[in-house]
Amino acid sequence: METKEILPKMPKSWNPASKPHKFCPGCGHGLVLKALGQVIDELNIQDRVVFGCDIGCSLLSWDFFNVDTVQTHHGRTTPVMVGIKRANPELITIAYMGDGGGYAIGSQHLVNAANRNDIITAILVNNTVYAMTGGQMAPTTMPDQKTETTPYGRDIKETGYPMLGPEMVAAIAHEGAYVARGSIAKFRQLKTFIKKAIENQMAGRGFSFVEALSTCPTNWRTNAEKTWDFVENIMPQYFPIGEYKVPGGKEE
Amino acid sequence: MAQKDPEYLKKAISVDVHAGKATFTIFPGLCKGCGLCREKCPEQALDWSQKLGVYGTPTVSPNPELCKACRICEQVCPDCAITISRQEKEKEEK
Repeated sequence: METKEILPKMPKSWNPASKPHKFCPGCGHGLVLKALGQVIDELNIQDRVVFGCDIGCSLLSWDFFNVDTVQTHHGRTTPVMVGIKRANPELITIAYMGDGGGYAIGSQHLVNAANRNDIITAILVNNTVYAMTGGQMAPTTMPDQKTETTPYGRDIKETGYPMLGPEMVAAIAHEGAYVARGSIAKFRQLKTFIKKAIENQMAGRGFSFVEALSTCPTNWRTNAEKTWDFVENIMPQYFPIGEYKVPGGKEE
Repeated sequence: MAQKDPEYLKKAISVDVHAGKATFTIFPGLCKGCGLCREKCPEQALDWSQKLGVYGTPTVSPNPELCKACRICEQVCPDCAITISRQEKEKEEK
């Protein structure tokens, strides 16, 4: 049979036994983790990576890779990864979290890790809602965006402004840090950002942070067409895509 | 491989596209029917299929005359349910 020779083009570092993965149809986590898996393959670091996932939808990646994985308390992925890195500096630690874990309950750790310039890589997936609990307003919900708890749209006079993570981290990070924001709608660019972030950690230069704009069709209540429209056209209006801090000066 | 082959490998569906120069393979055991590939296809060659995926939602099947095997669907699939193999390139590599 010819069909038996054709295999799914999964990154080698993925754990094939746990597929199909646990994310919803159309979820952006699969694409971010695909980019990360391809980067791990290209850099050939599968045996040195420690992958830490947070609570929230991102914890569903606990058996995603064939790498050492730790699942931590809500928002505490960053300090756990910092601890592993300090105890065992030859390991490559990747903290993987959502916007709830990184910007709401875990923002203290993100700020302090960035300030201390800890040599870890943090990947934060931003889908503008608390997806696992049913689509409530998150720190990243955009002005006038409708969610479960803001049925008339987010009123910034009442609830404040959305969090701009990479801008904040770039403002407090020190020389040697790498900060960028990518989008799953620009898959190759996102992969480049993740690769640079991991290479920055491997070179021992400093804190590496990548935010990935992602999708949540389940809680946005969008079909495929509107999902792409939201992540491609509407989200970058508030969350500009690009590199915010590059070691040795900004590349344009 | 000593490991047992995963379930999703068993019922892959292959279609020859682009005048036989490439093969489009869909793994219904991985496809969740999100439709992201269908929206991204520049040739609008993907349509819903009768074959159901892992959550009982329709999978996609290509129109062999329209598909140019550009691999965009393969790239945007969050579940790696689509594999496109080009015959020409594989011969060159050998």
